[in-house]
Amino acid sequence: MKVAVFVSEYRCNLNPLEYIPAEKLGFILVGNGVYHAVLKENYQDSPILQQKGDFYVLLEDLETRGCETDCINPKVKPVTYDDLVDLIFYEYEKLMWLQ
Amino acid sequence: MKTGDVKLAFIVTKLPYKSETSRLAITHALSYQTVEVLLEDNQTITPSLIFVDEGVLNCIKNHKSMEHYELTSVETHLKNALLVEMDIYVCKESIEKFGVLPERIVNAEDIGAEKSIKIVSKDEIKEIIKRADHLLYF
Repeated sequence: MKVAVFVSEYRCNLNPLEYIPAEKLGFILVGNGVYHAVLKENYQDSPILQQKGDFYVLLEDLETRGCETDCINPKVKPVTYDDLVDLIFYEYEKLMWLQ
Repeated sequence: MKTGDVKLAFIVTKLPYKSETSRLAITHALSYQTVEVLLEDNQTITPSLIFVDEGVLNCIKNHKSMEHYELTSVETHLKNALLVEMDIYVCKESIEKFGVLPERIVNAEDIGAEKSIKIVSKDEIKEIIKRADHLLYF
């Protein structure tokens, strides 16, 4: 099962991930979730980025908040809305939101 | 109602955009100019905006919300607040915690504001809060 996990909050509960039997996880950082891609709180990567999986950040939401693309963590791939549609339709079978 | 100068401290702890909370703090603080027409001659209101913890992320410059979502940016509201010479403070410890450099903080020089956002320590923020008559958390 391939699951795309949308993350739209900066503080979120990761516990639900323990129950997802996914062979492939993709974390899509949108809304305030984009901060996971650029902040190093206390010099540490976000706990989200310490999960196993692929990471994507929505450029439109990142730039809305004044974050610069050159600050994006190397683990995270920047994507546009068009790329996001392709991910949803072609890369992942199921979607979930992490609150 | 108290006469003289009434100091209001708007303390912002929330992130921008996903909710309107932080934007409301700024627009409410800006509304002091409207409220003044309802006050007596010997009354004034002095608001200050204080950004702490995750709230400091509102103050990163170059928001592109208008380009992407046709949404007035929080940055624009902050610049308007600076233009009317409102005191705006950002917690030094919080920006350091998130790795935000001081040069990434909003300024309003481009629209002619003389004031700028002050980066101050947590202890200084406590003093500002102590001097305020009313505290409003957003």
